Amino acid sequence: MNLTAALARLLIFPGLLFAVPAAWFFLWVERKAVALMQGRIGPPFMQPFYDFIKLLGKSTPPRSGVAGLLMKVWPLIAVSAAAGAVGLLPVLPSSGGFQGDLILLLALLELPSMCIIAAGFSSRSIFGEIGSAREAVLSVAYNVVFLLAIISIAASQHTFRLEALAQMPVSPVHWLGVLMRCLGVLAILVCLPAKLHINPFSLPNAEQEIYSGPMTEYAGPELAMWELSHGLEWVAATGLAATLVAPVVAILVAPHLIVWWLAALLFVALSFGVVLLLSVVAAATARLAIDTTVRFYWQCTLIFAVLAISSALFMRLRS
Amino acid sequence: MNILTMLWKNLWGGSRTMLFPARPKVSKGYRGLVRFDPALCTGCAICKFRCTARAIEFRAGKGEFTWSYDPGQCTFCGRCVEGCKTHALSQDSECPPVYLTIGELKNSYTVARKPPAPKPAAAAPPTAAGPTADSATGGAQ
Repeated sequence: MNLTAALARLLIFPGLLFAVPAAWFFLWVERKAVALMQGRIGPPFMQPFYDFIKLLGKSTPPRSGVAGLLMKVWPLIAVSAAAGAVGLLPVLPSSGGFQGDLILLLALLELPSMCIIAAGFSSRSIFGEIGSAREAVLSVAYNVVFLLAIISIAASQHTFRLEALAQMPVSPVHWLGVLMRCLGVLAILVCLPAKLHINPFSLPNAEQEIYSGPMTEYAGPELAMWELSHGLEWVAATGLAATLVAPVVAILVAPHLIVWWLAALLFVALSFGVVLLLSVVAAATARLAIDTTVRFYWQCTLIFAVLAISSALFMRLRS
Repeated sequence: MNILTMLWKNLWGGSRTMLFPARPKVSKGYRGLVRFDPALCTGCAICKFRCTARAIEFRAGKGEFTWSYDPGQCTFCGRCVEGCKTHALSQDSECPPVYLTIGELKNSYTVARKPPAPKPAAAAPPTAAGPTADSATGGAQ
């Protein structure tokens, strides 16, 4: 990959130029879909953008000391990490150079969550601290399953390279590999509501209980950055699921007809589908308590993820 | 699965909320804005005393009185309407309209006091002695 292609990927597609409008669009889709399913009208199309602009125009309360400085820094790190994660997604085919690595992508996906935890504790608000503690516990709970699912996919493909993971051998089609991929993606999908803080795992930012938790003390441009980072997380997380599902869809529908624009279209369509699916889950469920959440991930879903990784390892030993 | 059926029905059943400034339909017996009929009011001011939200003001003057109503303060409890013996007050059975400036719906009436109604003719004195207080109470000691 030459420098121009790398910059285009980071800044245009699927980087910032695509990711920022897509972040607002996905936030709107989620809010609108949940509203429609609850018999409400929901926000207008431009609402997330208007919210962002309005927050940018507001002033922030003066904060002194290291805690104040850190509170300014966390949202910026979160936005950068989420934007970097989106830029790394292997949507378009490329050749040579640095093509992204699954471990780096996972680290970038995890950074916003860690920033949220740090931000809640930096704010010294009791609601922020409760929210951060919940986020930390939630992160430990779902990440075990999430990482096992990712590792199972990587193990079945024998690689951590994103480019390789975004493609599957078309001929001959390895149906056990397809099954492994589907199992892994399913486990990832189970983790996404927790990663994106939507129902039933919205307890870190429970508005009615702890006033948005770690975000309680944030206002103005800093809150706008948090909103943007949340939107970018949506794009990155749903995009990750889409890039992992896309090869399976391509094999099933048109194994030899993958061109760059079709790959991009498939990526957008699958991401949109994942957003809709998550919206249905959010609308259909109520918020779970932290102990129920941990039990869900460590008792129910962990078995599922262990099954996926053991099958992947078995497949690797067989081959 | 019931919840999914419900969501599906909601998705295609239209929204129950409405865009501003549309107002929802109301059920029978809905308590809306208080309406005042100056022709029926006797100026007893019982409505002012029954109004715990202080939405009704009453100022007595010479030969006239001023009755004011502020819907912004009103809780639409209907106690004023219940207490009005002459039925000078009534309540709308529709949602209050949307207003954009403070006090836009506030209204005030200055009403001339009516001359006192002629006293009814004195009742004829009883022909036989009525029961005494003691007998009325049963003579309890």
